[in-house]
Amino acid sequence: MSSTIALEYYKIRRKNIGLMLILFLLVEMTWAFMAISMSIARNPDHAAWEAVLFNISYMNGLFMPIVSAIVVSRICDMEHKGATWKMLAATNVSRTQLYAAKYVCANSLLLIGILAQTALMIGFGWLQKFPGMPFGQFMQFVAGTAAVTLAVAALQQWVSMSVKNQAFALCLGMIGGFFGLTAGLFPASARHLLIWSYYLDLSPTIYVYSEPVGAYAAQPFAFGKMTAVLMMAALSYIAGNIHVNRKEI
Amino acid sequence: MSGSIMIQTDNLTKKFGAAASVDRVALQVREGEIYGFLGPNGAGKTTTLKMLLGLIKPTEGTIRIFGKRLEEHRAYILQRTGSLIESPSYYGHLTGLENMRIMQRLKNAPDRNIDEALHIVRLEQHKHKKVDQYSLGMKQRLGIAMALLSFPKLLILDEPTNGLDPAGIGEIRELIKSLPARYGMTVMLSSHLLSEIEQIADSAGIIHKGRLLFQGSLESLWQKSKTTIQLKTEDNDAAERLLLMKGYKPIQKGHRLQFEHLSDAETAEINRLLVSHHIPVTRIEERKKSLEEMFLALTGKGGSL
Repeated sequence: MSSTIALEYYKIRRKNIGLMLILFLLVEMTWAFMAISMSIARNPDHAAWEAVLFNISYMNGLFMPIVSAIVVSRICDMEHKGATWKMLAATNVSRTQLYAAKYVCANSLLLIGILAQTALMIGFGWLQKFPGMPFGQFMQFVAGTAAVTLAVAALQQWVSMSVKNQAFALCLGMIGGFFGLTAGLFPASARHLLIWSYYLDLSPTIYVYSEPVGAYAAQPFAFGKMTAVLMMAALSYIAGNIHVNRKEI
Repeated sequence: MSGSIMIQTDNLTKKFGAAASVDRVALQVREGEIYGFLGPNGAGKTTTLKMLLGLIKPTEGTIRIFGKRLEEHRAYILQRTGSLIESPSYYGHLTGLENMRIMQRLKNAPDRNIDEALHIVRLEQHKHKKVDQYSLGMKQRLGIAMALLSFPKLLILDEPTNGLDPAGIGEIRELIKSLPARYGMTVMLSSHLLSEIEQIADSAGIIHKGRLLFQGSLESLWQKSKTTIQLKTEDNDAAERLLLMKGYKPIQKGHRLQFEHLSDAETAEINRLLVSHHIPVTRIEERKKSLEEMFLALTGKGGSL
């Protein structure tokens, strides 16, 4: 299995997936840091780690589905372009193993993105001289974001491998981004059916809207929601794996 | 044709909806031979080959390769099988060498095989070039090199000379012909070109509309061909009238008179008759149906050999 995963990294050379991922996240972080800086300028009480954790989680709802769609699509599309899935499937390596290697490769890249994002958040906080260092909340942020990304990537991989035209997969990513951004406007019962809404739901902080001014507050780790996300990831992955593997080439 | 059976299918059927793309095919490919799988476009060749590689699931029937059932021993069989199905598969953003490296790692083949396989298909000079920059023929060669990479026991090639220029076709043909002797491979290749199969294969299977119409050695295919005698005289009309009067059944075919099932004695008698009636005979030929005619008889008109 490890050699199949190594092969996935070998195959994506010259695809510039890492560079594209970094650029995308830099845009997100720049946007988020500018928004936080403006917020702090208006209200010095917002100069806290909670502001960064909430805003990045909120922005991740928009960016991570799109970034996931792009990364997964780039990794899967190369098998469609050169008709290589047929070649790989005609070797002694099982399709389940090939599918798993792609999933691991895509998620490892996305996890690196999430860790880089976390490092930038910490760097921003230090520059802004935020008090204390909420390691627990950062751990919660990384775990929550990574879990939701696992589910989103599983769904994206299913679509990217099943449908040759990657416009569908990218379109799903954009729809996901829309739901991720506007999740807060949906009633909880509907929101919890949408995988992309969990970026905010699993955030370690929330923003409480109260008169006269809103405030950031800590959100305890939601085991139920985390379980739901992981189940969605497993379901999407298993369904995609079965569908793609049974598909005749 | 004395080798053990390498590929055996029984009642192999693939249906897409109600229509059978492959219909109860019973293939037998022997070890060490080159088996030509012949049929017009859409006959079911590629579908059959894909089933042999586990890319498509048969609706019915069984496949045994190396004496083992494909569905139970997939990894064992595919480890020992090289293939090129339809168009060549490649990663365009990678070089030829990198593409080979991927296959080498998948097949767990030794490093030196890469250079050897590239040398065989004459791509070693272009191995550092991105495959997107290859010509169609070079991509086809790379596909063959990737199939050859582990020097498998069984090589399945679907229309391997597609996209090659005449010189390339000749080269690949010679290469394929040499594989059983050089590397102990069994080769199964499909083609819609009779001339290709005729020049490469030891035995053949002819498939049409999903059904295997013939299977056996090319020799036995030739033997099935009915011999005809063709006669050319200076006055074919007069010759035909005379021979009809004498009870023969000549058929005018162009500038010749053709007879089916004529013995040597009858041929000599016809010649003597015509000469004695002052109709000079300019040519007497024995003619067998060409493979092309036999193929058309089998596939186009549905007639017998």
